[in-house]
Order: sequence, then structure tokens, then C-alpha cells
Amino acid sequence: MQSWRRRKSLWLALSASWLLLVLLGGFSLLRLALPPRPQPGASQGWPRWLDAELLQSFSQPGELPEDAVSPPQAPHGGSCNWEACFDTSKCRGDGLKVFVYPAVGPISETHRRILASIEGSRFYTFSPAGACLLLLLSLDAQTGECSSMPLQWNRGRNHLVLRLRPAPCPRTFQLGQAMVAEASPTVDSFRPGFDVALPFLPEAHPLRGGAPGQLRQHSPQPGVALLALEEERGGWRTADTGSSACPWDGRCEQDPGPGQTQRQETLPNATFCLISGHRPEAASRFLQALQAGCIPVLLSPRWELPFSEVIDWTKAAIVADERLPLQVLAALQEMSPARVLALRQQTQFLWDAYFSSVEKVIHTTLEVIQDRIFGTSAHPSLLWNSPPGALLALSTFSTSPQDFPFYYLQQGSRPEGRFSTLIWVGPPGQPPLKLIQAVAGSQHCAQILVLWSNERPLPSRWPETAVPLTVIDGHRKVSDRFYPYSTIRTDAILSLDARSSLSTSEVDFAFLVWQSFPERMVGFLTSSHFWDEAHGGWGYTAERTNEFSMVLTTAAFYHRYYHTLFTHSLPKALRTLADEAPTCVDVLMNFIVAAVTKLPPIKVPYGKQRQEAAPLAPGVPGPRPKPPAPAPDCINQIAAAFGHMPLLSSRLRLDPVLFKDPVSVQRKKYRSLEKS
Amino acid sequence: MARKPYHRECEEEAVCVIMCASVKYNIRGPALIPRMKTKHRIYYITLFSIVLLGLIATGMFQFWPHSIESSNDWNVEKRSIRDVPVVRLPADSPIPERGDLSCRMHTCFDVYRCGFNPKNKIKVYIYALKKYVDDFGVSVSNAISREYNELLMAISDSDYYTDDINRACLFVPSIDVLNQNTLRIKETAQALAQLSRWDRGTNHLLFNMLPGGPPDYNTALDVPRDRALLAGGGFSTWTYRQGYDVSIPVYSPLSAEVDLPEKGPGPRQYFLLSSQVGLHPEYREDLEALQVKHGESVLVLDKCTNLSEGVLSVRKRCHKHQVFDYPQVLQEATFCVVLRGARLGQAVLSDVLQAGCVPVVIADSYILPFSEVLDWKRASVVVPEEKMSDVYSILQSIPQRQIEEMQRQARWFWEAYFQSIKAIALATLQIINDRIYPYAAISYEEWNDPPAVKWGSVSNPLFLPLIPPQSQGFTAIVLTYDRVESLFRVITEVSKVPSLSKLLVVWNNQNKNPPEDSLWPKIRVPLKVVRTAENKLSNRFFPYDEIETEAVLAIDDDIIMLTSDELQFGYEVWREFPDRLVGYPGRLHLWDHEMNKWKYESEWTNEVSMVLTGAAFYHKYFNYLYTYKMPGDIKNWVDAHMNCEDIAMNFLVANVTGKAVIKVTPRKKFKCPECTAIDGLSLDQTHMVERSECINKFASVFGTMPLKVVEHRADPVLYKDDFPEKLKSFPNIGSL
Repeated sequence: MQSWRRRKSLWLALSASWLLLVLLGGFSLLRLALPPRPQPGASQGWPRWLDAELLQSFSQPGELPEDAVSPPQAPHGGSCNWEACFDTSKCRGDGLKVFVYPAVGPISETHRRILASIEGSRFYTFSPAGACLLLLLSLDAQTGECSSMPLQWNRGRNHLVLRLRPAPCPRTFQLGQAMVAEASPTVDSFRPGFDVALPFLPEAHPLRGGAPGQLRQHSPQPGVALLALEEERGGWRTADTGSSACPWDGRCEQDPGPGQTQRQETLPNATFCLISGHRPEAASRFLQALQAGCIPVLLSPRWELPFSEVIDWTKAAIVADERLPLQVLAALQEMSPARVLALRQQTQFLWDAYFSSVEKVIHTTLEVIQDRIFGTSAHPSLLWNSPPGALLALSTFSTSPQDFPFYYLQQGSRPEGRFSTLIWVGPPGQPPLKLIQAVAGSQHCAQILVLWSNERPLPSRWPETAVPLTVIDGHRKVSDRFYPYSTIRTDAILSLDARSSLSTSEVDFAFLVWQSFPERMVGFLTSSHFWDEAHGGWGYTAERTNEFSMVLTTAAFYHRYYHTLFTHSLPKALRTLADEAPTCVDVLMNFIVAAVTKLPPIKVPYGKQRQEAAPLAPGVPGPRPKPPAPAPDCINQIAAAFGHMPLLSSRLRLDPVLFKDPVSVQRKKYRSLEKS
Repeated sequence: MARKPYHRECEEEAVCVIMCASVKYNIRGPALIPRMKTKHRIYYITLFSIVLLGLIATGMFQFWPHSIESSNDWNVEKRSIRDVPVVRLPADSPIPERGDLSCRMHTCFDVYRCGFNPKNKIKVYIYALKKYVDDFGVSVSNAISREYNELLMAISDSDYYTDDINRACLFVPSIDVLNQNTLRIKETAQALAQLSRWDRGTNHLLFNMLPGGPPDYNTALDVPRDRALLAGGGFSTWTYRQGYDVSIPVYSPLSAEVDLPEKGPGPRQYFLLSSQVGLHPEYREDLEALQVKHGESVLVLDKCTNLSEGVLSVRKRCHKHQVFDYPQVLQEATFCVVLRGARLGQAVLSDVLQAGCVPVVIADSYILPFSEVLDWKRASVVVPEEKMSDVYSILQSIPQRQIEEMQRQARWFWEAYFQSIKAIALATLQIINDRIYPYAAISYEEWNDPPAVKWGSVSNPLFLPLIPPQSQGFTAIVLTYDRVESLFRVITEVSKVPSLSKLLVVWNNQNKNPPEDSLWPKIRVPLKVVRTAENKLSNRFFPYDEIETEAVLAIDDDIIMLTSDELQFGYEVWREFPDRLVGYPGRLHLWDHEMNKWKYESEWTNEVSMVLTGAAFYHKYFNYLYTYKMPGDIKNWVDAHMNCEDIAMNFLVANVTGKAVIKVTPRKKFKCPECTAIDGLSLDQTHMVERSECINKFASVFGTMPLKVVEHRADPVLYKDDFPEKLKSFPNIGSL
């Protein structure tokens, strides 16, 4: 009985193991027998061929199939590209010269002002023969100027037809080889590299200056809506995007998210602005969002983004496919704060640099075409796409970003450790011997230039200095002070008036400070501007106050690039103004630098007694101080020419770290600054 | 044992159970088995052994299935190309439409196939290789070229690859159309049309480097391809569909054959060199005229006619009787001409870039390779054909520094995007990927900046010059443990600052509750207490939702000596420098030449490179950076050592902005450990040593010393000026 039981259990175990063996073994055998199939998950990939070594190359180096070269191809019927339809040989010499066809008959105020703006620009030329680009303004339909074919039309060669509004009038003549600068052209009609895409400007867009971007802080406020959506009938509404909501796409079946608000006309405060739909509505929304610092999210735009040839829109907007709404939404929600921060700031920079006024749009258009003509000496992409932008960073100055004061960080470079001194000797014309000695004593001084600008003959003897001293015989014009002399070899310039007085240690300290802020002006004496309610205009004063917005250029460090900007980018009228009313030159220089940097200048300490003695209105030629009567006028004229008030106030002064601290003077590096 | 879901693991268990059972039997065996008959005994033992062996074998087989399978696959994958299946194309099988010139991503590309993808990567499927023959059994094309095989292999090895045709977003046929000359156009088109997912070519990607054929040499592949995307070498503006096609280089086999070591930028023997053979006579005349005019600095080479047998003529170029090695000779020139031949795209472009020679591209309407993302202005000079005679003067007008920049850039483009078929394939896929997932696209800088520039440059996260409005105010964050009395004094003092908009107390003590609401000082702004889960120093820099302003004032619970004027002035200074740390006590790092390491310095120095965050203003974005983006293990290190969070913050901000701190207002006697040294009391040596260690540790983690030394501090404009105190905005500054 027992053995039977044992045997039975033995048999049970045995049969069980047999069963297992058959099952498992059979399964394995089955797998062996069947040819292997790709397993899901385990990727198979492209096979490694046994005879891969024997494969032939796609092109045989020996064969030269191209011996029969055809002559250069002619452009295909009717269509144009840059090489085929633009004659750059007309543009030799000093870059782009533009002739504008004068308007025939009555013209609108906008048209007149645009004409005036181009005529005042550095591109303008009076003769169509000397022009490299002929500009045809095609602005509004009523005046009818677009119906006539201009005289020098020449099949449109080297012509640019500028349309600020899309197709204002029916095309009455063949465009031929003319380029078209048009507001938000459709991608199908746009010829990349030939046409220029303009922004869609609203009717009331300011001609000059323009409203600054509306962003007041870098990062979005916590709790601000993620998304603003455009309404079909115009206006905006915000949507707090719950992940399931699909607030803009008709194909989504869910209810719109609970966080939606009523529609409103003005742009709501949101991080992203969703823009779908077609031009021109979408294009005008786009600009609106850009100004507001609301990152535009464009869904499959059928129109070309403005100035897409030079502006890297991926840094300021998101172009997504309208067919993947959920994916776009998820991407927006997951976007890193760093990216959001960068995109927001870029919208503001681009708005301010290229879009905020009609003048900027037109100048950008011309600059784009000039870049095509310039070829290798065009603006590098960095100059277009980072502050202050290509209109303010002239490629005629340099094409290397490290030559400008704005890109040291991006380039991983630093301003060089030496400066040039430029001393302006106006009337009465005493050689500034003491000043030269003080400046030459600085270890950072590389050269001294004396700009002799008065009626007296040049003195034959100059003091012996450790650094080279050059004397330039000037033209007696105040604007000469800011001419980009080729003899200036350093990045930094210390601009001085012969009557200024500085100590070596003041110079040394100020230069060290300038090296930390190479894009700003670093000065000793200041003045500040204010809004004069009584006169309804701007005024400025050199009185000592708790804040300042200008430093006097009779003693200031700045980058040599500002000489180029002063001489080559300012409208002629403003430079003439400076020559006629020399007190204006300080204001003008401060305006330029502030307009470029959007930052106030920097003040460093200045010896006390001399501060009292220093003239309030510097740079005035003549033995007696002139009444500062023209001064207020000049600030208003300049502000009008700029279209806005760029000056900003600062409430601080940069002192040496131990300045007037209760510690032994032996420890201090800039002792002489403390003597009072 | 717990039951496991996978059969393989069950099998292993089963083996074990049986084995264990048999072992048991063996142990008990001597008692049991001798009672049986010998015949039976042998029978059982044999049977058992067989079963056992079988099971062990099965188990082992199951246990190492991969090695067996993969060796199995190895046999299959390593097939010969001659063995690929043959497909017969009937003469009347459908032909796709010609390419649609109006195609754009949103019209011709089916983006739904790409669907949602958390990794933002497209999936690419490669069709299996087949051999196509026509009705007469004559093959349609060569099997596959070496380069196309490499290209498909590169895609297959990349993250883009999928072998699941249903999940694919992009399809790459294995039909090789790299060189149109080797193709029978109609039959190739028919072969494309019969691909299983062809669907008018939607989402199909074709690679072609040599398009067109005699006599007119079209600039795009002539094979009808309907909506398929074309990655083509040699597009012109007339055939290139902007934003749809991809312009790729013509691969030069010399890239792999010849190793040209990188040559530093600078002037070279020849200013301008032309190395192409088979140039149009008109162009050659123009070039030779340049040579006559400019003498030695221009070298125009041609193929060699009098080479001895056995010399590879491809690798030689001649000028008169002088023989030059190609492509080595390219390294002797600053500029190298890349002229169009019958085709616009020329393989010589790749050789020229490899040699670090700046290409002078003379090919009107040519779309340069990867022009959608690469900035060719930085690496090449494009000259219109009609201006060929002016080439020399155009090139001479380029400043030397720009030339060197271009030489570097040219070499970098070759290294990154030209040097191998793999590089070309992956760049093409990346471009398409960027179009489909634009929010995850690679930036201009990533595409174009050479590694050296990427490392050296700093992109300030707060690059927009913007002075925030004063009305926004700042949020004060007080980190406290249990010094309630001192904390309350700080709160009272700080609340007097006009621009304070909120006060946040970070209660870092888990063992003790903060005082009751009624006990807190009554102040005019909201006061919030945040309790933390752990007593960590990094809690002070957490980006709390409660912070609604951009400006943050970090202040210790014992900083009671700062006046309201000083704090308000500090805030004003921060507004002018919102991207910097603006703080009160300043510190310096110094290089200790004896010890060969960094040293922390708190003496009265003329320089400053750090501010203590015991009292400092900064942008709240840096809280986010500190908490989530601090490199290496610095954050944990700080929490573990309970020290140096301020030094870490100084490193972080200086590293990300490239800018120095701003120290505000004159030095005061702060209550802080190292300040006792100034009082002439005991010098807390260990503290200083610890702080120095922090600097060395952080510098090694950052891989550099980001701190910037400056010699200035910020004071009010009229500070210590002879001016009526009453009229000063911030009179109460610097009082001890």
C-alpha cells in the first residue's frame, strides 16, 4: 500500500514533469523551427550587408559627367530672384542710394511724411540716375498715384514697390522685375530673398518714435493667464488651459475650459497669444501681441512673417501646426520658464527695434536690401537679432560683433584695457598742458588726440608725454568732436574739453567703471531733463539734483562706436543744429546713447572744488558764458526729431568701494578722490 | 513564491521546484529505492535523469534566449544584397504625379502621423530593400550605393528610427535615388508608387545629391514624386520649395578618404584658388584673367594631362607643369572658388570646407546646403556670376578678422554637417523634426556657433534693457529659525521701506511653531509665513508662489542695522540693474599663490566680487535657477554643510549673466561671523576656511571661476557731497 502510494506520487511527479518538458520544449522547438519575426519593441533596423564592402559609390570620381556645361540659365518665365533681376552694379560706392518718386497730384499727410522721412535719411539721393534703388510708394488708393507708370520704370529693374497696406489699388501695370515690399504677403506669392515682407501696420501707426513695448517686467506675473485667444469678431479672450480643454479648435468636442473669460477689445494680460486665421486680421493681431509682450503662437500662418529674411522669429514667436492643437497646448504648458522669459523679452526688443513706427519699418526695409547688396559686409545675424538691432548697429562700422559695445558677453570677449583721449580745444585756444599731463599719467591711456578747433594758429610745441600725441586741425565745427577719426584705435574714448580738469586717479577709476559698462557713457558732470508743465515742453538743468539723465561730454568715457553713430546715422538737420547751438551737442550725444542702450548714463565722483568752478553749459565757445537760452529749445527739437524722449534717469553714482569709509586712507586705492 | 506574470520566469521557478524535489528524493532515496526491484530502479533513475536533463536544457534555453536568438538574427541580418527579394514592375503600373511646386508642410504633409510625442522626435520608417525589375526581368537600377546604404544605416541607428510602419511619421524608401544618372526614371517612379504607404508620396523623404541629367540638368530630381519631400543637393530658387524641401550637400567621398588636420586660421600662401576641373571655358578664361592680373596670389588648377600610369588622377591637380596634391592644396588657400558646373551643387564645396578654405560660391540661384538653418554669410562669400571678374576686389575688401572667422566657421560646418553621410542624414532629419515640433526646435546659435563660441559666450537670461517700474515694489524674504525677537525687529524695520510690497517669513524650524498671528508686528503690507518641511538653507531661495514682484530682498533675521533709506536706495539700484545681485556687505575671492587655490576675503578691500545674501536684492528668476538649475551637487552640498548658500547664489548669477555684483552703500559693521575679525576680537578661522573651501568646490563644479571683480560700489548721487542734507533723497546712508 505504501509503496503503491509512493509509486503513485512518483508517477504523478514524473508525468507532471513530462508534461512540462513537452510543453516547454515544444514551444522552444517551435520557436527554433519558425523563421524569426521582428519582435515588437526590439527594433531590427537596417541590415548589415555581408557584401557592403563591395557596394559602389553613388558617384564615380573618375567620371566627369559635367564636362558639357550649359551656359548660365536664364530666369524662368516671369519669375525673379535677386541675381537675375537686381543690378547691383549701380550700387557701387557708398552703399544703397535710394530715389523716391515724387508724388503726383494731391497726397495724403501720411504719404507726405513718409516721403519726408526717407528724404531725411542717409539713404536718400536726389537723382534717379545716381540711385541704386528706385522706390515707388504705393500707399492709398484714393490719391491714385499707383495708376501711373513711373518714368524710369525700365521694366521694374532695381525698383521697389512699397505697399504698407495689402494691395491698395488694382495693379495697373506689370510689376516686371520690381521687388515688392508688402504687408504680410501670402507664402505662395512671396519670393524669398527678393521680395520683402512688411508688418501689417494699423492706420494710426505713429510715423516716428512710436510707443515702446508694453512689457513692464521680464517674467510673467504668477497666476497670469497662459493663453489669450482671438475672437472671430475681433477682440480677445483669455483661457486658462486645463489640459483637456481645447479652446480654439472646432474639431475638439469638449466644452471650452472653465477658466474662459468674456471677450474684450484690448489685449488681455496673458503669456501666449494664439493667432490663427488669415491675413490681414491675423497679421495685425500679430503686431498687437508683439507690442504687448504676449508671445505670439501662430497656427500655420499662410503669410510670410515680417522681415523673415533677417529676423529669427523662432526667438520671439512660436509657429505651430494648426492640425495638432493638443500638442501645441501641451508644449505651451510645459515650456520652461527660461524659454518663456527669453521669448517675452525678444518680442519687446523686436517691436522696439523694427516695428514701433512707420519710419522704422521703412528703414528696416531699406536696410534689408542694403544687406543683400553688401554681401559679406552685411549685418551678421547677431546684430539683427539682439539689442539694439541692426538699425542702430551700423554694418558700415564693422561686421565683427566684438567691435561694438553691445555684444561683449555674447562673444565671450571683453573691452580692451586702453583708451584714447580726445581733447577738443575750442576758443580761446590755450593748449591744455596740465590736462594732457594728468591724462597721460594714466596707465590705461593709449594715445592722446588734440582736436584744434579755433582761430589761433597751432602751437608748434607740445609737452613730452609717455603716450603718442596727435594734433588734428579741425573744421571749427562742434560736431567735429564726434567724428569717427581713423586715428582712434581703441574701443574707449575719453572725450575732454580743453578747459576740463581731471586728476589721473579720477581718470583711472572712471575707465575701470567704463569697462564694466562699455555700452554706456561714464561721466563726471551731469545734468537732468524734466518736463516743464508751464511751457509744455522738455527742459534740462545742470543743477545738482538727486538724479541725472545726461553726462556732459566735456569729460566722459564712451565707446568709439558712438562717433560713427553720431556722424552717420543722425539726420543732417540734427547735426546742423548741434553746430549752430553748441550746447546741444551734449544733449544730442546723450540722446543717441540712451536711444541705443535704453539705459541711463553713469556718474563717477568728481573733485569738489572744480565741480563748483565747472561751467554749467559746457562746450560754449567764447570767453563769457553765453546765456543758456537756446538750450531748452534744443532739447525739444531733438526730442521731436527722435519722436520720443529716450533719456532715462539714474539715482546713483558709482564710487570706489572704500570711498570715504572710516578706514585708514593707506588701504584705499583712490585716495585723491576723497580730498575735498 | 509570488506568482509572476512572465512565463519565462515561471519556467525557471518550475525548474527549481522540480530540481529541489529531486534533490529531496535523492536525499531520501537510499531509504526508498533499495526496496524496489533493480529493474525498476534503473528505469526510474534513467527516466528521472532524462526528465531532469530535458528540463535543465529547456530552462537554460529559456534563460539565455537572447544570445541564441541574436546569433540567429546575425545570420539573417548579415544577408547578401544579391539575395534581396525581387519585385517585378509591370510596364503599366502607376506613375506618380510630378512634384507639386506649391507644397508646404501644412498642405502636403500629414502631420497627424506624427501625433503627440513627449520626446518631440519624429519617427522614421525605412522600407525593406528590394530589387526591382521590369517586365523583361531587366533591373531598374543599381541595387544600392555605398552612401545610401550608409545613410539608411545612420537613420536606423538613430533615435528617429522605428520599425513599426504604423507609428512612423516619415517614410524613407530604400530605393536609391542619390544619383539620377544611374536611374531609369519612369521605372523608379513606378517603384516608388507601389510602396505600401506611398499615398501620393505623403510623408515620404527622398535623398538625392546629383539631380538632373544632360542636356539641361534640372536642379531637382526628375523622378516624378508627387508630394514626397526632397532632400536634394543642388536646388535652385526655382525648384526649391521653401520650408518643405531640404537642401543638402553633395557628399564628397574624399571626406572619408583624406584626413586633413585642422589648420589654424590666418593668411595662407594663395589668396584665391580654383581647383575644379571641367569648368566651362568662359569661366576658366575669367579665372585665368584673374591669375594674370594678380600673379602669385591666385592659383587656377586644372586636371593633369601628363600623369604617369597608376597615379590616381582624382587626387592630383596641375597648373602648367606643376603637380599639386588634391585636396591638400586647398589648405594653402584663403579663398577657394566653388563654381557651378552643369549642376549647381558641387562636391568640391565639402572639400573646400574641410580644408578650412572660405568657399567663394559662384552659382546664381543656388540654394546652399541646409540654408534653412545654417547662416552661410558667416562661412562663405556668394558672388553673382556676372561679377566674377570683380571677385578679387570683393574678397580683398573683407577685413582680416572676418576672414579668420569665416575660416573657422567653414571648418566647423564641415565637421558638423558635411563630413559624413551620417552627419548629412541626421541634419536633414533634425530640420524636418524642427518644423514639426517648432517649440522644441534647435536655435540659430546651436546650429551655427562653433563649440568654442558656445562655451565662451554668455547669454544673459535678462537681456532686455528694462527698468522695472518703481510701483511694483519688492518682496522681502526673511529666513528664520527661532530668533523671534530679532525677527520681529527686522520685520518692523523693513516694513518702513516705502517700496516694500510684501513680507515673506520662511520658518525653517520644524520643531517649533511660529508665534501666533496676534503676536506678529502689525505692518502695512501683507505678511506671510511659509513653513518648510526641512531645515535647509536652500529654502531661502525657493521660488515661492507668494512672490509676486520681480524684485526679491533676501534678508537675515538679524540684519537690523540697515536704515530704511539704505534699503529703499538698494531697491532703486536694483531697478537700474535688475539682472544683478545688489547687496550690502561685499566680499572678495582671491587666488592664493602659496596654496594654489581660491581664498575667501572679508577684509576692507578695494575690490568686491560677491555680496552676502544676508541682505541683497535680486530678480526672482534666480530663485528658480537656484532651485532647479544649479549645476552639479552644489545645492545638496550647501544643505549638507549649512553654509555658503550665498556664495552659491553669487556663482550662479555671475555665471549665467556674466556680470559683476553691485555693492550698495558704505561698509557697515554687520553682525556676521567673519565681521568679528574687524572688531579685533577672535578671528573665526574655521569659518573663513569653510568659505574658502566653498569657493574652490563651486569653481570646480562650474568648471570656471565665474565671479567678476569690480572696484566700484553704488552710492546716492549726492552721497557725502557738500549739499543740504534736507534736499537729499537718501540722507540716512552709511550711518553706523
